[in-house]
Amino acid sequence: MGAHDSFHSIKIDEQRCIGCVTCMHACPVKAIRLRNGKASVYKHDLCIDCGECLRVCPVQAVQSMTSKVVELAQFKVKVALPSPVLYAQYSDATTPNDILLALHKLGFDHVFDMALSCEMVLIAIEEYLNRMTDVRPIISNYCPAVVRLILKNYPNLMDRVVPIEVPREVAAKQIRKSLAAELKLDPTEIGIFHLTPCPAKLISIQKPIGVERSNLDDAIAIRDIYIPLLNALKEVGDDDLILQKSSGVGISWAISRSNVGGLPQHRSLTVRGLEEVIHILDQVEAGKLTDIDYLECAACPGGCVGGPLVVQNRHVAAAQVDTLIEQYGVRTRLDRRKILRSYEENYLIPGLHRKTRAVSHGQVDLVKALEVMNQVEETIGRLPGMNCGACGAPDCRTLAEDIAAGDAVLTDCVFMKIKELEDEVEGHRRKS
Amino acid sequence: MPPGATSKGIVLSESVDARFRKLFSIEGGNFQAAGSVSKQIKMILKQLSIDNDLIWRAMIVAYEAEMNAVLYARSCEVTLSVSTHCVSLQFKDRGPGIPDIGLAMTEGYSTATREMRERGFGAGLGLPNMKKTADRFSIESVVGEGTTLQMELDIP
Ligand SMILES: Nc1ncnc2c1ncn2[C@@H]1O[C@H](COP(=O)(O)OP(=O)(O)OP(=O)(O)O)[C@@H](O)[C@H]1O
Ligand code: SF4
Ligand code: SF4
Ligand SMILES: [Mg+2]
Repeated sequence: MGAHDSFHSIKIDEQRCIGCVTCMHACPVKAIRLRNGKASVYKHDLCIDCGECLRVCPVQAVQSMTSKVVELAQFKVKVALPSPVLYAQYSDATTPNDILLALHKLGFDHVFDMALSCEMVLIAIEEYLNRMTDVRPIISNYCPAVVRLILKNYPNLMDRVVPIEVPREVAAKQIRKSLAAELKLDPTEIGIFHLTPCPAKLISIQKPIGVERSNLDDAIAIRDIYIPLLNALKEVGDDDLILQKSSGVGISWAISRSNVGGLPQHRSLTVRGLEEVIHILDQVEAGKLTDIDYLECAACPGGCVGGPLVVQNRHVAAAQVDTLIEQYGVRTRLDRRKILRSYEENYLIPGLHRKTRAVSHGQVDLVKALEVMNQVEETIGRLPGMNCGACGAPDCRTLAEDIAAGDAVLTDCVFMKIKELEDEVEGHRRKS
Repeated sequence: MPPGATSKGIVLSESVDARFRKLFSIEGGNFQAAGSVSKQIKMILKQLSIDNDLIWRAMIVAYEAEMNAVLYARSCEVTLSVSTHCVSLQFKDRGPGIPDIGLAMTEGYSTATREMRERGFGAGLGLPNMKKTADRFSIESVVGEGTTLQMELDIP
């Protein structure tokens, strides 16, 4: 796999973009700039693949790079690993089992109830919390946008991110191994697809952190499979085949609530929505919240049910998840000891905590950096402070930084431009 | 304790050869904005590519000092100075001042009200933590006028 450096899970279509700056203001890490009236992820190394830009664009110019259903064909054997969020997209009468059966009918040779992997992973997380008692809080890792936010903006908190493989990876790894053996296939002939509520999962497949490569092949947006699946659901009759193995514990993953029967011995706290996540990480970084064992952070409002690639309204979906939790109970049927036997082999990711230390630079660089910073402050002093975005940067401070970096000029600011023109006119008048 | 003396027994130089300096202000009682100055300081240090561990320590002291200013003072002027060898933070507030600095520096001592405790403050660890975390720390206070904290962290 290994996507190139500037690859991201979203792409802004120049043709469609109307240059309204909505996405630029919404981007939590200020990665977007407008150039020649078109938005682009100009500072791509800042992008955390949260999908906020996709969520807010009024003309659907921000596209998800997830694959289309038709792209499945290239694999001999196709496997679907649906996020539990999929279970909350249809009406009450549609059971998770119906959905799994319908995926079969859609052309997936194997369909796996990923909610069960969520339960396995919760057991492994509990074990990690029991073993590592000296660091608190431990932070969840299943939201790739949050992990990237921490890696880029809170590097000191990286060693608190739980180094336990996420459910989709655990499932994919086991499935590929067992299917290859069972069907006598080369593992590369098996295509494993995550049905995802957000583009962020795609980046964790294309550019994983802490491991060499992902066990998944690609991701398909729930909203792209919604209609075909709806049609396939009509063909699902009274089938004896039971594909659903999970309880409400695994399904609760869709609303990011591991405390639903999952981690009874530990104090957990769930924070959903990037703005709130940033706020809470600031506090953790300042040494607070040490009384919390497990801090669950999801970039999307409402958790994964609020992902930008879903169909159902997130409140409706969350209510649906609650119903499912009630229906399938909060007791996992899994054997804890059995899971923990392969804790090191199947769950632990030792590479995640590899030090992500910024290269401490020499004195010469610091002198230069201080000079640049002074220049930035001086520029900010001249800018009007309106944060209008007309310059193509999300706010005046960012424009000042871009100018210092040589990525913009002062007269990109319309107010500065007007002033320049006025001065010119004034100059001419004086001369004549 | 004589003015200028630190509890670590080192006299701080009046001003390090600051190459970069920026002022911020904090409004007492404004919980809405609480933490925003520390955050801005962090952003600046990050852009200067200061070592992550140092930024972390700077954040801990800045956040504690900012919270104390929000909780106890009327207003506070913050000065961030960065030279090639040192990050220095000064928090100079107008407020009630601290009558017994020795007591305030004791771990567990707090005058936080019930309301503040409900917000998660009042463990009495802020000041001791700042002293522990900074490389140099000094505190001066005049009852009825205000408190000044000066903290320095050495750039390795
Ligand atoms: N800027 C200040 N102005 C007036 N009094 C202060 C100031 N800073 C601290 N104090 C006093 O010193 C006490 C101890 O402060 P410290 O920061 O160590 O603990 P705290 O703020 O009470 O609790 P914590 O910081 O653990 O939430 C405070 O309760 C308060 O009485
Ligand atoms: S939100 Fe962004 S991508 Fe969409 S039209 Fe506006 S500027 Fe273009
Ligand atoms: S995905 Fe998120 S971080 Fe990346 S450009 Fe869009 S809003 Fe910014
Ligand atoms: Mg305090």
